Amino acid sequence: MKDKKNKVRYGMVIDLRKCMGCNTCSVSCKVENDVPPGVFRSWVKVVEKGTYPNVRRSFLPILCNNCENPICLQNCPVNATWQREDGIVIVDPHRCIGCKYCIASCPYNVRHINPIMKIVQKCTFCHHRVDAGLQPACVESCPPGARIFGDLNDPDSEISKLLAENATQVLKPEMGTDPRVFYIAADKDAMDPFAVNS
Amino acid sequence: MVEVREIYNVHHEMPLGILIANYFYFTGLSAGSFILSTLAYGFGMQKYKPISKSAIILATLLLLVAPINLVVDLEQPFRFYHLFIYFNFTSPITYGSFLLTIYPVCCIVYAYFMFKENLKWAKICGLIGIPLALLVHGYTGFIMALGKARILWNTALMPTIFLVSAMVSGLALMILVVLIMSIFKVDQRNKLKELALDLGKLLVFTIIVDLALMGCDIVILLTSHHDAYHAAMLILKGSFAPLFLGVEIILGSIIPLILLLVPYSRKSLISHAVASVLVMIGIFTMRFVMVVGGQSLPLS
Repeated sequence: MKDKKNKVRYGMVIDLRKCMGCNTCSVSCKVENDVPPGVFRSWVKVVEKGTYPNVRRSFLPILCNNCENPICLQNCPVNATWQREDGIVIVDPHRCIGCKYCIASCPYNVRHINPIMKIVQKCTFCHHRVDAGLQPACVESCPPGARIFGDLNDPDSEISKLLAENATQVLKPEMGTDPRVFYIAADKDAMDPFAVNS
Repeated sequence: MVEVREIYNVHHEMPLGILIANYFYFTGLSAGSFILSTLAYGFGMQKYKPISKSAIILATLLLLVAPINLVVDLEQPFRFYHLFIYFNFTSPITYGSFLLTIYPVCCIVYAYFMFKENLKWAKICGLIGIPLALLVHGYTGFIMALGKARILWNTALMPTIFLVSAMVSGLALMILVVLIMSIFKVDQRNKLKELALDLGKLLVFTIIVDLALMGCDIVILLTSHHDAYHAAMLILKGSFAPLFLGVEIILGSIIPLILLLVPYSRKSLISHAVASVLVMIGIFTMRFVMVVGGQSLPLS
């Protein structure tokens, strides 16, 4: 990890022991960020496995990981994608030319073209809310409180305590992106895009 | 094996489509033709002189047309000038926007000296142009290779595969040009026929290198990590297998190789024409399979 010890670094933990797949996060994200129909910044992937009576339904809420080393930032030709000091990755709506190379480079499928504005958009941890001292919309609205958002560099924050006390996973660690969305008790078959076999 | 079913997931629209494949195809043809045109004026191989002028005209025209694909593909085409005022030196597209400006200028200057028969300056411009031509097509390989999310693209072989396939398509295009020239230039027909057969030999060589590189790529994909195996299976058994195996490999490489190597047909101009057309179709399919096939693998 880069040396940013004294600075705020935002991240999210999603505790899948609590997630019930209600999609409140998907809806509140759409409402908060005016996300047009057909595209999503945050959604819940649902996977069902096994045969009756030995079955399980697993949920995997997906959103931008706001990576420490984002490939989209490396590949954006006009620097429209940039990273704030607190680690949140943002697309400049006035600079984006819509070349879509960032969408092609993102390993998490979380970037989309806004069909109305004709630029690329993505989850920004609701940076406008964070700047106002609020929690991101999905965190605020999650009924079982499965999403915890906060400063990863503050050892007393709830998120740091959760990360210290639990076994956590990130999506596609092999990409070297250092994701900042962590999952507790994520299902391997939900995390693997090629696991679907029927 | 536990049965796993996907109940709900979001798959966003494929970002890059046939326009990008088309762009790669055009730059490849252009770079291939440019390098062939420098054989006579840059390296003094006189037997290739008849194609030099057509080659450089085609190289210039193709490279003027190619970026149109890119601009049309932008969601905000009128912001294309952002590429020249905001730079990101880790992005291959930033390098591309400069290469795509300098290279056509170099082509035009080179063509000017060539048509003026100013051999000294034609040679200098030709030799300057070779690295530019290689870069202009090589960087498109880097666009693919640095799109790290797509397993089919993210290989160190990609720039090399792109360059070799550019030479393959350029040679095929030049064989067709020579054959068309031989229809109109009756007095030079024997010389042109020899030239076509000569280019045919080069074509055989480049097709074999191309196939070898493709073979290496697939062997590594098959034996590498889990996602890479699925990428290999997509083009070997999955929905892109008919295009990859059928059109790119069999129709675009194996049949032309047979036509150009079997004693019965290797001296025939018609077999050269058929082989060249098939090769050009095969290389376009290769670009399409790489761009669209690479993106059809699920990410989430």
